[in-house]
Amino acid sequence: MKKFREFLQRVPIKLYILIFGVLLLSFFSNDFGLVDIQKTAIILAAGLDRTETGVHLTAQIATPKGSERSSCGTASVDIEGDGETVSDCIAEIYSKTGWVPKLIFCNLILLGENTLKEDVFDVLDFFLRNEYMQDSCLIAACEGTARDMLTSVSAIEDTSSLALEKLFSDAAVKSGRVMKNSLKEFAIGYHGISQSGYMPFIRSQDQDCGSESGGGSGSSSSGSGGGQQSGSSAQGEEQKKIYFAEETVIFSRGKMSALLNREQTFAFSLLKSKVFAGTFGAEENGKPLTLSILKDEGGVSLDMKNKPKAKFSINLKVRLYNRGVPSPIEDVADSKVPDKAIQNAKEKLEKDMRELWTICRDNDCDLFQLKRSLYRSSLKKYGEWKDLLLSTAEAEFAPNIESIR
Amino acid sequence: MKQISSRQLYFFLAAIAPVGKLVLMPSQLVHFAKNDLLFPIATNYLLQAALVFCVLLAARANETFYDMLCYTFGKVVAKIVVTVLALFLFYAALLPLLEQKLYIQSVFYDTLPSSVAFSSFFLVSAYLCSKPLVSYGRVWDFLTPVSMIGFFGIMLLSVYQADFVALQPVGAAGIGGYLNGTAFTMSWFFDSVLLLTMIGKFRYQKGMAWKGALSYLAGGAAILLFLATFYGIFSDIASRQLFAFAKISKYFSGITVLGRIDYLFLFMLTLVMVFYCVLPVRAGVEFLGHAYGEGRYRTTLYSIGINAVLLTLSILLDFWFGAVNTAISETLFWIFPAFCILLPLTALLLRRKPREKIS
Repeated sequence: MKKFREFLQRVPIKLYILIFGVLLLSFFSNDFGLVDIQKTAIILAAGLDRTETGVHLTAQIATPKGSERSSCGTASVDIEGDGETVSDCIAEIYSKTGWVPKLIFCNLILLGENTLKEDVFDVLDFFLRNEYMQDSCLIAACEGTARDMLTSVSAIEDTSSLALEKLFSDAAVKSGRVMKNSLKEFAIGYHGISQSGYMPFIRSQDQDCGSESGGGSGSSSSGSGGGQQSGSSAQGEEQKKIYFAEETVIFSRGKMSALLNREQTFAFSLLKSKVFAGTFGAEENGKPLTLSILKDEGGVSLDMKNKPKAKFSINLKVRLYNRGVPSPIEDVADSKVPDKAIQNAKEKLEKDMRELWTICRDNDCDLFQLKRSLYRSSLKKYGEWKDLLLSTAEAEFAPNIESIR
Repeated sequence: MKQISSRQLYFFLAAIAPVGKLVLMPSQLVHFAKNDLLFPIATNYLLQAALVFCVLLAARANETFYDMLCYTFGKVVAKIVVTVLALFLFYAALLPLLEQKLYIQSVFYDTLPSSVAFSSFFLVSAYLCSKPLVSYGRVWDFLTPVSMIGFFGIMLLSVYQADFVALQPVGAAGIGGYLNGTAFTMSWFFDSVLLLTMIGKFRYQKGMAWKGALSYLAGGAAILLFLATFYGIFSDIASRQLFAFAKISKYFSGITVLGRIDYLFLFMLTLVMVFYCVLPVRAGVEFLGHAYGEGRYRTTLYSIGINAVLLTLSILLDFWFGAVNTAISETLFWIFPAFCILLPLTALLLRRKPREKIS
């Protein structure tokens, strides 16, 4: 005992500093970020399709490029799995490839068209629960199957998911052509009072790039069924694609309600005040011209005096961007938008907003979170109107466009 | 005898004590109180602040809690009471330790690491628990700016993204939501008992009671701001967001360019949490010392023994966190108010050291 006491007295403070260092290392080392790439599948994007028996998952996985390839970029392979739930699919990928799927870098969840016909949260549940998944990842729907979309060959990128993500760049969102959404925001909409949400809808189009043009030399190959991975590169033989996301799918209670066309998507974007430096077309005496949006203040408010009334307002500051007809130099030097063009633009915006509202109302989709607004402002009135709000609310549209030089 | 200063004590109440409420409490609170989450926490803070006031009033005697028990009830009763109190402190320490473990494993690792990653905590804890409280005073001097920079750094990255309108309508959760929210978060509020273990280790100064209570409420105000921001960001899915303070800052737009700079602030708060988690264990070890013999050798033995038990529990309960959390914070929630209210009020009634007669 005496010896132990003496030992304690001699134990230097340096030893404890060392122990504290061990603590810091074990807390913050993240296993020193060591990832055995031979055993780990870094999933860049997940595509989900509904099947008769459950879910089909297509995981686009980043792979290291061979040293003989000179170009930069990201190569990938698409691995597939089937199961009753998404985690079954992940387990199948693991069991058939030996790769441990890593979702921390998954930036895109793509839903195939048939997935949208039922409540999509049966397939999104896995991603919302997973602590190692970023809920800020993008979410989108696509025409056909997510499998076909993810395994297609992009004309602009080695990896289709990276090409798809480019559709949702900040510049694209500010243009007003794309309404991007994240898993978090979509989940908030679904679990909230309004139970509604939206996500962009992606289509692809064949692109004739010639034999060597377009993307780099990465390999994007697909193995079909049961988590098989095909080794051969098929990029040179497959038709290259370019992608669009100018339409928007709207959801009610997790199910697809309707598809907004590009004009309605643009109007939705304006109402969300997301547009900066976007452009849109108008006419003056039947001749086309384009306006550039310098400032967008949009919103939908709910007026509950007497009968519910939804007020749609868009306030734009615009400048003449270009005309579709030859103009004299005096006109080119003047960026003021003619009054007739402004009037025409207002009419177009009002028409698009009206269509947007009609679609939402007819499909019982509370895209503008009117129920939530009512709930937050008055519990009593919410109790009275919650089931009738969308069907009975009148709509008032107030597009206001101001031209600045 | 060296003592902690009043400044260090205020630092503890304002900047160290609040960090224990940042990890799992917010999501649990939202589960019951929904958008009314601020009211249960405000209630708990006001209650604790009143108890902190009482404890600091009891500290006017400049005697330790154990000494006061001895003067009032005699040594045997005092030993029984401090043993029970020590058991309560170990019990109270369990939930913060387990949530700290989960937090480290989930936030700082991108796949589930082995249990060893957290085990080193108990090495540090065994050391810290054998140190006298005066050492903590110096640590709090250092940790207070760390805690404040970490907290305000996180808030700076998060607050502008919050939609505070999500906190409306007031009263939506109803009286049931409020009561459940208050009761089932009480397991995170035992600061008055922690403070009780410190009396006699600092010299009471005039106005200390209300200054201490105000310091504690200042920390509470920061927590309320944090909770409002948390709910403003996650609103209807907030109950799913475990490790709240590590989640709210990751949507900062600059992160896509700069990387997870918020980790810098998370590391700071995690460091403070380590010292906060150790406090109840240390206090328990000290009370064991009062009851069963003190001295450096014995204190070290108690510390090693208790930390070994806690390490074993943290491994055994690895997959039972949900059940443990429900048991401690919901089923047996009443244990916390029972100790937190009873002991500080009792401390006010205890006798001081009898004055020696001057002949």
